[in-house]
Amino acid sequence: MGQKITIEPVTRVEGHGKVTIRLDDAGKVIQSRFHIVEFRGFERFVQGRPYWEAPVLVQRLCGICPVSHHLASAKAMDVVVGAGPGKLTATAEKMRRLMHYGQMLQSHALHFFHLSSPDFLLGMDADPAVRNIIGIIALDKELATRAVLLRKFGQEIIEATAGKKIHGTGAIPGGINKNLSPEERDRFLKGPEPLTADRMIEWSAAAIELFRDYHRKNKDLVDGFAQFPSNHLSLVRKDGALDFYHGVLRAVDADGRKVLDDVDYQDYLEHIGEEVRPWSYMKFPYLRALGKADGWYRVGPLARLNTCDYVPSPLAQKEFETYRAYTDGKPNNMSLHTHWARLIELLHSAEVIRDLLRDKDLQGTKLVKTGRRVPEGVGLVEAPRGTLFHHYRVNDDDQITMANLIVSTTNNNEPMNRAVNWVAMNVLSEKPVITEGMLNRVEVAIRAYDPCLSCATHALGRMPLEVTLLGADGRVLQRKVR
Amino acid sequence: MKKRRLAGVCCDANYQLNLEDGLACAGHDLVVFVDAARGLRRPFTFKRIAPGPALPAMSHALGPAAVLAVAAELYGKTPEARVLAIRGHSFAVGEGLTERAERNLALALEFLVEFLKEARS
Repeated sequence: MGQKITIEPVTRVEGHGKVTIRLDDAGKVIQSRFHIVEFRGFERFVQGRPYWEAPVLVQRLCGICPVSHHLASAKAMDVVVGAGPGKLTATAEKMRRLMHYGQMLQSHALHFFHLSSPDFLLGMDADPAVRNIIGIIALDKELATRAVLLRKFGQEIIEATAGKKIHGTGAIPGGINKNLSPEERDRFLKGPEPLTADRMIEWSAAAIELFRDYHRKNKDLVDGFAQFPSNHLSLVRKDGALDFYHGVLRAVDADGRKVLDDVDYQDYLEHIGEEVRPWSYMKFPYLRALGKADGWYRVGPLARLNTCDYVPSPLAQKEFETYRAYTDGKPNNMSLHTHWARLIELLHSAEVIRDLLRDKDLQGTKLVKTGRRVPEGVGLVEAPRGTLFHHYRVNDDDQITMANLIVSTTNNNEPMNRAVNWVAMNVLSEKPVITEGMLNRVEVAIRAYDPCLSCATHALGRMPLEVTLLGADGRVLQRKVR
Repeated sequence: MKKRRLAGVCCDANYQLNLEDGLACAGHDLVVFVDAARGLRRPFTFKRIAPGPALPAMSHALGPAAVLAVAAELYGKTPEARVLAIRGHSFAVGEGLTERAERNLALALEFLVEFLKEARS
């Protein structure tokens, strides 16, 4: 009799999803799916609202990367008020960048130390009762302390730029509503210790070394786990540099050939399609140039370091060179290397924060620009989890009439399904007993992409996730619910 | 609560509890976690809470017990802690509170103010 596995909830990811793995009579995997079981609500919710409310409203669909939604929405509304890309004042753009890189810092630190490091430092087969942040505290208090303070530093940068550390109001259509006071600047640069930009750089660099040490000792696992070829998509700066706040859209295939050659994201609909599949509420985006079957792509840290030509900060650039040399300059398609890429981005974020803090433009007083009002705007940022699209239409009464959001986790829908399938085929298939550690590997594969399912489904409230193993007759053989 | 300006009382507002809240808890003698709640039959409940397992119900966020566990394990502090759960009536996407939730909130706030005044004395 065939079997089916469902894992629900997948812990340490954001939102509500479900993994279902179907086995045949011999215990061989015949199908795996990563479902999202919530509905999309925010695109409808914002309709009829005044456009200037959007940057504040939409960030409420996420508790982890609200700044990304705040900024992507504000960038779209910049276009609507005639102050699109390149037209903001220097103070406004740099304040927004500081806000965004503060968010990258806190989100990447949270993900690595809180969510992923238990799998690496305590082991994927460790007792789930200790395979968590408390287990990390017991193992290494200094590391856990750094995790708390990296996150806190990022949150305080957000508070200083957005007005609040969560769901701030700093970015407004056409600019920003505050600058950074010299007192705030000095606090982040000079302390009190250890909450300084320099210390965050030092700790970020140490985190990379921690991962590299694990990699040296577990090369086969880190390189082989959920490795599969894919296209990669992200924003890059016009000169090819890594840039989380603004740029042009670039996509490369698994061999590094450009599929999207630095196009203006206002035209994203010409290049990106969204496929609907009946078994998932989450859409499947694809590159139109390659079609639905072959056009799916990864976004996020792995993709960004595959699409960019260089990293515009010295320490992170040095790490990037080592990282790229590992694959001989070719795109890196190893899912667990996402953690390596994420930590390089953590270091880059800390360096950019320090450099921005030293920039006198942050104390400027020209905060807002306006121009010719238009009825439509698109805003993109590189959120911690990947490229985030916000697209709005606004009527003559200033009401939003259409909103389309393609969030990072949606962009990674097919890659996460592929990663789950890799684990199903390589870890679970034809095994007489399915252990907790084996099921945790399904979660490890998903977790590499740091998904935010509440963003992907635009859901609110309680959002768990499960993994279930089903027989060919549909009978539940095993269900993992934490 | 902020507007009441009670001496020795700090307020913080979060969308989700997280690691750094363990540090904040470690710096206080008494912590009250306040949130809307489903499934209550009374306007609010007020219960003592202790450090507990750090298994988050939904990943990035920690529950109050887990935050207290971070304070205890990482900073060696175990503040006295309570959860004030206020009954909500509608959790759909929308603006503002229902009238019933507003009433529950007002009752809970008055209770909390009196509790904190007593706790200080």
